[in-house]
Amino acid sequence: MDPFLESLQQSAIARFVGESGSLLGYPTILFLHTLGLGTVAGVNAAVALRVLGFGRNVPIEPLDRLFPIMWIGFIASAISGLALLVTDPVTRLHQTVFYVKLIFVALAVVNMQMMRTRIFRSPAVSDGVLPSNARTLAMASLFLWIGATTAGRLIAYI
Amino acid sequence: MNMNVPHLHLLLNHIPTIGGAAALVLLIIAFVRKSDDLKRIALEATYVVALFTFPAYLSGVGAQQSLLEMPDISQLFVDAHWTAALWTFVLMQLAGALSWLALWKWRRIGSWPTTMVAFVFVFSALSFATAARTASLGGEIRHPEIIVNAQPPAETAVTEAAPEGAAPSATEAPPETEIGWMTGRGLGKAYMDRNWMWPASEAIHFIGLWLILGVILLVNMRLLGFMRSAPYSAFHRLLPWAALGLAINVVTGMMFVTGTPEQYGANISFLWKIIFLMVAGLNLLYITVFEGPWHHAQAGEDPPIRVKIAGATAIVSWLLVMYFGRMLPFLGNAF
Repeated sequence: MDPFLESLQQSAIARFVGESGSLLGYPTILFLHTLGLGTVAGVNAAVALRVLGFGRNVPIEPLDRLFPIMWIGFIASAISGLALLVTDPVTRLHQTVFYVKLIFVALAVVNMQMMRTRIFRSPAVSDGVLPSNARTLAMASLFLWIGATTAGRLIAYI
Repeated sequence: MNMNVPHLHLLLNHIPTIGGAAALVLLIIAFVRKSDDLKRIALEATYVVALFTFPAYLSGVGAQQSLLEMPDISQLFVDAHWTAALWTFVLMQLAGALSWLALWKWRRIGSWPTTMVAFVFVFSALSFATAARTASLGGEIRHPEIIVNAQPPAETAVTEAAPEGAAPSATEAPPETEIGWMTGRGLGKAYMDRNWMWPASEAIHFIGLWLILGVILLVNMRLLGFMRSAPYSAFHRLLPWAALGLAINVVTGMMFVTGTPEQYGANISFLWKIIFLMVAGLNLLYITVFEGPWHHAQAGEDPPIRVKIAGATAIVSWLLVMYFGRMLPFLGNAF
């Protein structure tokens, strides 16, 4: 076994999360991971649905303020995800589906930020004008979060 | 707790039968009198009955566990009751879901989607029929005095009666060929026999989770007073997407329960999850059709405190549904 991974797995944080049996250990970290995922993917999806034309009377411009909430969700998911990873790094880092998930998440986050700059912060937004690639970005966000969630869930089964 | 799960089931199972019948009668009177007000009340009642069909059905799944441990209980009777209950549950949920959609549309356009309301009537009438059968089969589990023709129910009939005093135990299901696919136990078995189905449902269940959470957050932030430049009616348009997430998760969630009822019947975390699902469901009805959110969150308007409380309740109750769902293996005994 890789000595680095082994030392990770023996670290205090890994032992607390993985082995303490405390409700504040593994269960809470897992919940925070789900909560973070639910927030970043869910709010991103809700905003994407608006861009796709559902709820047309919801103004686009104020939705820009939802992006910090998405980022908080992402950061909560990333930190709790790291804590979950160190409890069993050897297994996870040898699972193809784990890397598939990371790629989906990376693309989804890049796409999310692109939505922000191209749609919600474009100079034309105050007139309610959407750029021509707005629908593509919105569809991509739904697709990428569905992919990330599916791959993430399958880590437990494959 | 002084009340056990079977006791709870005996109380709750009156809601789909009697409550469902009452909602159906209201809807018929609404048609006869051509009353829009009565129609709204009937559809709201149908939705609430469908909501309470969750604990009624699920407490039955729980009661089954303790019942099958008793020596004089026949699994055949329990299974026949379970199958009828599953049909009632499905029909009642279809009636409830369509009621919600009709109420949502009515709130937006001010008139009733006629076909949709007609289908609510059809599903309610069918579920009333299956609920009556479910109640009758349920009674036979413990009340032999009401059985006229003392035969096991037809669809699970066996060729050879079990020897006296040797009722099948909970773990010993009848041979596979005798369980039809369209029965509670048969459906659960067919589901568990296909190894890919559980992981696939888990993935879909989590997609449903973020769909609900994202839309609920966005819509209810308006009720809390954020993004005030637009009226609540604009955000209200997105609610069917949360309802779609809920529908997806009811289907996948009920498959988990049907496949492995022993994981949920006596699971304290599941009990709390269902309690907060009830709260979230009642709240969803309020923010969909009631006057408060609709009239007091106009463009530029900061909603009154009761509407803000409704918005906060939506967010908190859905978060708690999620929390207790995630805790199923830790506070309870699910895997």
